[in-house]
Amino acid sequence: MAEPIKIRPVNRGKRPHFFDDPAIDQLFAIVMAMSAELSVLWDRVDTTERLLDQKGTLSRADIEAFRPDEKVHTERTERRNAYIDRIFRIIREERDSLVAHDKMTEYRELMDDLSKN
Amino acid sequence: MPFQAKHDFLVESSHDELSRQNYVQRLRMHILNQIGGGMRAVYDKRVKPQFEKSQGRAPKDEYEVHVAMLSDNYGQVWSTMMRSCQEMVWDSVIPAVERAQPKLNERIRGLNARYGTLTLDPSVKVPRYVSATDIHLMPGNYHTERTADDASQGALYDRGRFVYNGGAAGPYADAIPRTIATYIRRKWPDFKPAQALELGCTIGSSTIPFVDGFPECEVHAADVAAPVVRYGHARAEALGKRVHFHQMNAESLKFADGTFDLVYSIIMFHETSTKAYRNILKECHRVLRPGGLMIHMELPPVGDMDPFEAFYLDWDAYYNNEPYYLKYTHEDIRACVTNAGFGNDKFFQVLIPDLARSPQAFEAVVGGEVIKKTQVARVGESAKWFTYGAWK
Ligand SMILES: C[S@@+](CC[C@H](N)C(=O)[O-])C[C@H]1O[C@@H](n2cnc3c(N)ncnc32)[C@H](O)[C@@H]1O
Repeated sequence: MAEPIKIRPVNRGKRPHFFDDPAIDQLFAIVMAMSAELSVLWDRVDTTERLLDQKGTLSRADIEAFRPDEKVHTERTERRNAYIDRIFRIIREERDSLVAHDKMTEYRELMDDLSKN
Repeated sequence: MPFQAKHDFLVESSHDELSRQNYVQRLRMHILNQIGGGMRAVYDKRVKPQFEKSQGRAPKDEYEVHVAMLSDNYGQVWSTMMRSCQEMVWDSVIPAVERAQPKLNERIRGLNARYGTLTLDPSVKVPRYVSATDIHLMPGNYHTERTADDASQGALYDRGRFVYNGGAAGPYADAIPRTIATYIRRKWPDFKPAQALELGCTIGSSTIPFVDGFPECEVHAADVAAPVVRYGHARAEALGKRVHFHQMNAESLKFADGTFDLVYSIIMFHETSTKAYRNILKECHRVLRPGGLMIHMELPPVGDMDPFEAFYLDWDAYYNNEPYYLKYTHEDIRACVTNAGFGNDKFFQVLIPDLARSPQAFEAVVGGEVIKKTQVARVGESAKWFTYGAWK
C-alpha cells in the first residue's frame, strides 16, 4: 500500500502582512477561520433538525451521509450571506460612510423591486 | 449558484468539509463584492484627497496608488482578508484530497481509456516560472508529485477552483472556454477546424467545451505539469469526452509545423514569463497551418486603465503569488503577436460577454458590436472575457 499523501505548501514564500503589527493580520485570519467553523457547526445543527423533522430519530451516520439538495443549499447560502454581513458589519459601515448616498438609484431600485411582486 | 458537476474522479467531501467549502465561497464573494466594492470610494473620497493634500498632486501611477491604498485601514483590511480567504479556499479542500489518496492515484493509473489518450514525457522540465512559487497560493502548484504517478494536484485544482469562483463559471467551471468556443463558431461559421490544440490546459476543463463545440475536430491539449494532465485525462474519460492530452512545454512543442487549424489558450500567459510568452507565440505560429486561427483569453492589458484600476487588478501579482501577472498586463500584446510572425492586419482583440450570463450582449458582440470599457476584474470575477489573437 502506498504512503498517505500530505498536501502542504511547497513554495509559498514569506507571508505578507498589511498592518504595521502582523498580529492584526493574524487576528483577522483567526476570526475568519472561526467564522467558518461556526458556519459549519450551524449547518450541522440544521442537518440534525431536518433529519429529526423527517424521521423523529437519527444516528451520527445519518448526519454524515446528509447532503443538501438545491433547496437546502439555497436556504443555507442565504443564511451564510446574512451571517457574513452581520459578522463583518463594521467593515460595511466604513464602506457605507464613504459611498455617496444616491437617493435616485435607491428610489429606482425600490420601484423595480415593488413592481416585481 | 450551481453544484459542481460530479464525475468519477472528483474527490468526495465529508458533511462538514462541504459546509466549510460552501462557506468559504460565500466569504470570498463577500470580500470581493461587498468589501472590495468599497475600495474605489475609499480611494476617491479619502486616499486620493489625502495624497493630494500632502503632495500637491494626484498619484501618478498604480504604484503610488498601491502604497497609498495599503497605508489606509480599509485597504489593509481588504488585503488581509483577500489573502486569508485564498488560503482558506485550498485548506477547505485539502483534507478531501488527502483522504481520497492513494486510492485515487491507483484508479487513475489503472484507467482503461475509451475515448482519448495521455502522452507523458518525463524528459519535460518544469520551467522555473511554474516551479518557483505556489501560484495563487495553491499548495504544490500544478506540478508537484508527492509519489509515483501522482495526480493529487489535479484533484486539488478541480475542487479548489470551483470553491474559488463560487460556482460562478457553471457546474463544469468552464464558462470562459464555452464562451470562446461558441464565439468562434458563431463569428466564423465557415471556419471548420480539423485539428485543434489547447496550451496550458491544466485539467482539461477548458478543452472539453472545444470538443463539444467542434464535434468533427480532433482536439489536443498540452500542459507542462504531469499531475494535472493525468487527472485531466481521467476526468475527460469519466465525462466521455475525446481529448488527447500531452505533457509538453508550449515553448517547444513536439508537433510538426502546420499541424493545427486552431491553437488557443485560456488564462495561461499571465502564469508564464516575458521570454516564455514570446516563445509560445512563436510556437503557435509555427504549428498553425496557413489560414489557421490563434486565439487567447487573458487578463486585459492595464495600459489604458486609470491608476486605481490598474492597482486593483494588479494586487494579485504581489499578494496572490502571480509573478508574471504584473509584467503580462503591461505587455504590448499586438507587438508581441506580430513579432511572432503574424501579420499586423491579421491581429484582433475583442471583449466577449459571457455566453451564459449575458446571452444578448454576447450575440451583439458576435454581430460586431464593440464594448469599449474593460471592466476591472480578476480572472473569473467579471462577465466579459478579454480575447485576442490572429489568423495565420
Ligand atoms: C491558470 S492555468 C490554465 C487554466 C486552464 N486553461 C483552465 O481554463 O482551467 C495555467 C496552466 O498553464 C500551464 N503552463 C504554464 N507554462 C506552461 C508551458 N510553458 N507549457 C505548457 N503549459 C504551461 C500550467 O502548468 C497551468 O496548468
